[in-house]
Amino acid sequence: MRRRLPLFLVFIMGLFGAFAFFVPHPPVRQIDEVLRNDVIRIIGALSLVLGVGSIIRHHFIKIQRKAEHWPYSYITIIALVVSAVIGLFGGIDPNRPGILPTQVGSFSFHIQTIYVNMMVPLAATMFSLLAFFMASAAYRAFRCRNLEATLLLLAAFILMLGAVPFGRMISRHLPAFAEWILAVPNTASKRGILFGVELGVFATSLKIILGIERGWLGGGD
Amino acid sequence: MDWQRLQTIDRRWIYLVIWLVVMVPLIVPFPIKPKASPPVERLFNYIDTMPPDKALVVSFDYSPSTQPELQPMTVALLRHAFARGTRVGVLALDVTGLGLAEDALRQVTAEFNAHALTHEDSIINGEDYVFWGWSTPAITVMLGMGERITKVFPVDYYGQKTESLAITKYIKNYDDIGILVTVAASAIPRSWINLAQTQFGVRLGCGVTAVSAADFYPYLNSGQFTGMLAGMKGAAEYEQLVADKLKESGRDWRLRGKGTEAMSSQTAAHLAIMAFIILGNIAFFATRRRRK
Amino acid sequence: MSISTDPWVWIAAILTLGIFSFLYKENPFYRFAEHLYVGIANGYAITFYWHRVLVPTLVDPVSHGQKLWLIIVAIIGALYFTRFIPKVSWLVRIPIAIVLGYSTGASIPRAIDAELIRQAKATIITRASFANWQAGIWAVIILLGVIATVSYFFFSAEQKGALRRLSYAGIIFIMIGFGASFGYTVMARISLFIGRLQFLLSDWLGLIK
Repeated sequence: MRRRLPLFLVFIMGLFGAFAFFVPHPPVRQIDEVLRNDVIRIIGALSLVLGVGSIIRHHFIKIQRKAEHWPYSYITIIALVVSAVIGLFGGIDPNRPGILPTQVGSFSFHIQTIYVNMMVPLAATMFSLLAFFMASAAYRAFRCRNLEATLLLLAAFILMLGAVPFGRMISRHLPAFAEWILAVPNTASKRGILFGVELGVFATSLKIILGIERGWLGGGD
Repeated sequence: MDWQRLQTIDRRWIYLVIWLVVMVPLIVPFPIKPKASPPVERLFNYIDTMPPDKALVVSFDYSPSTQPELQPMTVALLRHAFARGTRVGVLALDVTGLGLAEDALRQVTAEFNAHALTHEDSIINGEDYVFWGWSTPAITVMLGMGERITKVFPVDYYGQKTESLAITKYIKNYDDIGILVTVAASAIPRSWINLAQTQFGVRLGCGVTAVSAADFYPYLNSGQFTGMLAGMKGAAEYEQLVADKLKESGRDWRLRGKGTEAMSSQTAAHLAIMAFIILGNIAFFATRRRRK
Repeated sequence: MSISTDPWVWIAAILTLGIFSFLYKENPFYRFAEHLYVGIANGYAITFYWHRVLVPTLVDPVSHGQKLWLIIVAIIGALYFTRFIPKVSWLVRIPIAIVLGYSTGASIPRAIDAELIRQAKATIITRASFANWQAGIWAVIILLGVIATVSYFFFSAEQKGALRRLSYAGIIFIMIGFGASFGYTVMARISLFIGRLQFLLSDWLGLIK
């Protein structure tokens, strides 16, 4: 029952999901529409519980066990609760405030203000660190050890020069050559890889629907 | 020269070089005018010649982590659409991209409304554009929009009932959309092809991070994407095309193009990275020869 | 130079520099910023999941006495909470099965059409490929490149003789493709950093005109 019921559900839903693509009849279309717009949407939205719940549990355990850097877990939990409260009760649209005021004088702490001035800088800056790590890796690790590696680096150099307007100053044909590399040999290799990947995805999808692939059930009985 | 020591140099010196090489050209830029590549031109030309009764839909499918690369694209797309008087629909498939969509719309509508003399010139929410907002999961949105968009988004981002908006009678589903441009940092453009284009035949364009741009060329080649903006370079090229178009129509407003602004730094950084790779290889081969 | 007086710009700048401080070495400032981001991102997500999905789709209709059957759907969705109750944690498989099953089933026929058939059609050479001689040659190269690339990943027969040579040609194409990806990756990473510097130098310090 613990495994059979979910496997049965995934089979029925998978079959219907595929079947609905081919059938134009209104009753099937209507069921498909209700399934998508109501059932899948509500269940999909509630899946947020998994993510948020896991984060809260992880940090509470860290605090309980006084694991490494445990005081910072308070930051995460407090930030989560405060931003959720501001968002849930303060409203989304600054012009239509909710029951919680989100402005003191001219200082606004509306969820959109927090988003633009805290979330965006933090997320964007965290990813921008990759520029430095990439530069360091390029210096230390990229070596022309053989013909294939040299070919890779040559292609990369042509792309890097062709991607910036400076490339036109070296040769007016360089940007066009870079575009050719992308449009012809790169397209060929990526398409070949795509065929392999998609055949694999198709096989795995079938295995999931037919209950052969059961990794998504998780451990336990 | 101590090649061995050069190979094991503290990485923070490399970080400092990158910082300076990117920062200085931003403060003291050298003039650069990007020239549009064929995928960018194709997208621009299609949007520029779209029938007037068709809408442009922009899907903000990215998060703040890739905002520097992708936000300039969306701003340029919105400027282009509003400059043409094309109706615009905006949605987001990434919940953390919602705020960026709101930010882009606020910025561009403010730019146009600052120069508007009449109501017709103004960009009005609900009449000239609609911000549907976000919903989940993506399959619900992509398939539902083919039937009736207001069923997928019963209220817009601002809480207004979408059925009551004036623009809704002109954008009911994909049939009313000239092109949908997905701006994404992940594989979502593929999902748009698989779900929306396969079943409903909607024309698609994409704006992607440079990391994934090379992977989408097969779809450009097959015609599944009409055009593509690749990274900040693509954004800069599109900004230039839009600026030229605005200038041609007597609206030389000199709007800020963050993509174009970045090209000096981008050039300098590319040259620096290439120099690092060459230097690293010279040091590697010199050290190897000495060992032999 | 005109430094911003907006307190929020200063908060954004300080948080930006806090993350950048990691480049020197890991420090409490960076850790604080990192943990803050995780908290805010989740709080933001909760806000919109509630206001823009659950309220219009579930709460509003049910509170007005419409679509009362959605209560059953909500109960099924609420089974996600059982993930944190060990005795009944198997119930979480039910909502996962529904969403996973439908998404997987719906994407199979569509992906076959879009990713396999359309891509195969684009690879096959027809008279239309030779609209001009250049396009025709590139189309032939693409066809040969795709065959060579696929043969590199073909493990059902021993890679020797003609297959080995074809496979090596595949490696050449793959290396060029990866080189193209790497070149663009360099551009992408640098762009992300440029964006942050644009904020610091323009919005915060007013150094960029």
